Amino acid sequence: MYDFATLAPPYSMPAALHGEATLTDLSAQARSRALNQFLASVELKAFKIAQAALRHEDDALDAVQDAMLQLARAYAERPAEEWKPLFYRILENRIRDMQRRRTVRGRVIAWLPFRGEEDDEDDDPIAQAVSPEPQPVKRLEISEAMDALEKALGELPRRQQQAFLLRTLEGMDVAQTAAAMGCSEGSVKTHYFRALQALRAQLGELYL
Amino acid sequence: MSPPDDFERNARTVLEESVLRIDARTRSRLNQARHAALEAASAGRRPLWRSLTLVPATGAAAAALLVAVMLWHGGRSPQMPVLEGPHASAEDIDLLADSEGLELMENSDGSFYEWAAAQADTGESEG
Repeated sequence: MYDFATLAPPYSMPAALHGEATLTDLSAQARSRALNQFLASVELKAFKIAQAALRHEDDALDAVQDAMLQLARAYAERPAEEWKPLFYRILENRIRDMQRRRTVRGRVIAWLPFRGEEDDEDDDPIAQAVSPEPQPVKRLEISEAMDALEKALGELPRRQQQAFLLRTLEGMDVAQTAAAMGCSEGSVKTHYFRALQALRAQLGELYL
Repeated sequence: MSPPDDFERNARTVLEESVLRIDARTRSRLNQARHAALEAASAGRRPLWRSLTLVPATGAAAAALLVAVMLWHGGRSPQMPVLEGPHASAEDIDLLADSEGLELMENSDGSFYEWAAAQADTGESEG
């Protein structure tokens, strides 16, 4: 027979000590922690995907920030397994909005008689610091491959680019990718296949 | 879908490496954005009783609105003194809009009041 008397005393909710805890609070805290973990797990990849689409660091940051905010505000209560496709769907909408706005802005600016020069970014050496790196030679090879891939990705049609990055970088399956892109699984397969063909044609030598 | 071939695996490796090389400033900004999003979400679902901190500001706004409504309705109240005569208000507007009347006011030697009285007498005799 087990001696239950040796078990730890019954669990009491820590917040109850403060006299204001409710189950709702605790579940909200747990959900907030889960959402934090989820966003932390996608933010860097999401930034790369936005950057590939927008080709502008600040715009990419803005797009990711907006997507995080909207997910947290509107969809935090949804089941956690739905967050990833929802998040990328929101991000994609945001990217599309920014691209449209940029097109309109470009048209307006083209008509202006005077155009200001763009500000140069500060090259802060600390800010430019990168994560732990591989050996110099390998780094050079990867840098070369990275530049080539980013350039080739930039030339893909948006839907192909999106399908390729969600599948390859984010590791989403076809169904999740379809949900994130708002299209059928068949369309995802087509976009992905065409992206692969185009990238292979451009990068074949570097990547084999 | 078929399993990834060498090309896809290499592309994935390169993409993952590019993510690892994202600079510290960008990582920091993403981190801040995440915390701001979570803060906004938790503020959005805060229970009513925890929103009592907003009461002073809300109360002040409500009080200001109440005063504004009272003044609005009070201004139209029949208990308020009104000018006598059916055309009094229109006459006052005409008086103020009349440039000659304004010049007289600026001179402020008392002739304005004489002029105003004369205008009123003229209006009565014509009527």
